[in-house]
Amino acid sequence: MQLVGITKGYTVADLFLPVLQDFSLTVEPGTITALVGPSGCGKTTLLRLIGELEPYQSGQIIKVTEEEGPMGYLFQEPRLLPWYSVLHNVELVLRPWYDSKEKRINRALEFLQLVNLEDYARFKPDQLSGGMRQRVSIARAFAYPARLMLLDEPFQNLDTQMRWSLVNAFLTLWKQDQRTTIYVTHDVPEALLMADTVVRLSNRPMQILETLTIDTPREERSLGDPQFIAMQARFYT
Amino acid sequence: MLQLVVRSPMNRSTWITKLITALSVIILLGIWQGGAIWLDAAVILPSPTTTLGALATLVRHKPFSLNIITTVGRALQSFLLIFMVGSFFGILAGYSKKVHAFLVPVLVICKATPVMSVILLAFIWFSSGTVPLFSAFLMGFPVMFVQVEQGVQLISPRLREMTEVYGFSPVRRLVHLVIPSMLPSFITGAKASLSMVWKVVIAAEVLTVPRYGVGSRMQLAQVHLETAEVLAWTLIAIALTALGDLLFQAMLSLPKYILTLRNRNRKVELCN
Repeated sequence: MQLVGITKGYTVADLFLPVLQDFSLTVEPGTITALVGPSGCGKTTLLRLIGELEPYQSGQIIKVTEEEGPMGYLFQEPRLLPWYSVLHNVELVLRPWYDSKEKRINRALEFLQLVNLEDYARFKPDQLSGGMRQRVSIARAFAYPARLMLLDEPFQNLDTQMRWSLVNAFLTLWKQDQRTTIYVTHDVPEALLMADTVVRLSNRPMQILETLTIDTPREERSLGDPQFIAMQARFYT
Repeated sequence: MLQLVVRSPMNRSTWITKLITALSVIILLGIWQGGAIWLDAAVILPSPTTTLGALATLVRHKPFSLNIITTVGRALQSFLLIFMVGSFFGILAGYSKKVHAFLVPVLVICKATPVMSVILLAFIWFSSGTVPLFSAFLMGFPVMFVQVEQGVQLISPRLREMTEVYGFSPVRRLVHLVIPSMLPSFITGAKASLSMVWKVVIAAEVLTVPRYGVGSRMQLAQVHLETAEVLAWTLIAIALTALGDLLFQAMLSLPKYILTLRNRNRKVELCN
């Protein structure tokens, strides 16, 4: 996917305040790209533009054929319908794609199983913990036949252990179906362990400061490695 | 498979609460009886037994059911009208600030006008049978409207965004997001407007005296100084309101009951 010369801003009292000005980015298909930047720099806005949740003033978003079609979006919160069970929440998004109810239920259960929640399928979201709810939303996003995954800090607001278990749940599902993923975060270690490419971003108006490509396979990565320590240092200078 | 069903005994505190309520009823009846004995004038305050006797006579009297049916019919008609019109405009106003601004004066007038002025004016404009319907509508509409309008604002924008991302069609969004989000507001609005409708319909019947109706009978009994009959009709009005509330509650718990029944059947199937 290519973002070319994207400009997005808000007009407040006749004054145009740019969030993104002539912003360009190339994302390799079938990879995870992490966008790391300070809070409020505009990375969430960029994700919302790609997700077609907000319009932009100028520029172009060009997708390759395999990225065309529905998108999966993981928000900061799970965003589950509180009146439906976990299973129903996942099954519901599959309705336009699978006519048979049996197929939908089976697919939903299959993905709930992958995030270790098959025993909780009949539970309502408010009967689960925050981490479990977010796992349901990960299962929903992967069960949905999306071609592009957009992640807006979905592992925030959770304790470290839960966070890594969610990151692992995500990576397990992603390895089975390597969708182009754009991942917004301000957590550097998380980005370095998950992504193929980490893009370091500036404050508003957001610009790319640096693009780091990580060739080390995910299983072999360790934050204690000199290479990763050096990479982390670049974000804190 | 043998299943042991243990009925939970009624909670101690529930018993005490029920006892207190019963005691309150007995005290009220006692005050009534005491007042009747003290005044010793059935025209001013007949005793509970005299009132019950009057009630029994009323029930045996021929157009009794017709009076009740007519009043219930009026109340239901105005309630349905309130529910439909209130929901329609409530939803419109919830989504559009312009519609809200346009409807504000109507709402203020409806809320601030005394019930009696509405009834008297309506009696100038309409026939006596239509007055209860019209008055109840004007009084109940703002209640339903305000609840529904607030309900629209309760629809979570975040969940709405989620439905956009996952490509929900407008119908699917309505069924799975909008209606469930607004259900509590619909229920509160309907409940509040229903209890208001009974009172206004009967008040309008008292003032306009249509041919049949609980309020008309009350008015006629009052004119003939049949105080026991006025009280008997009042008891009927109370019973109607209580019955309406009860039916409404039963209707609300019906889907849950069906679900429990279905789950129980499933469990039986699993056990077999």
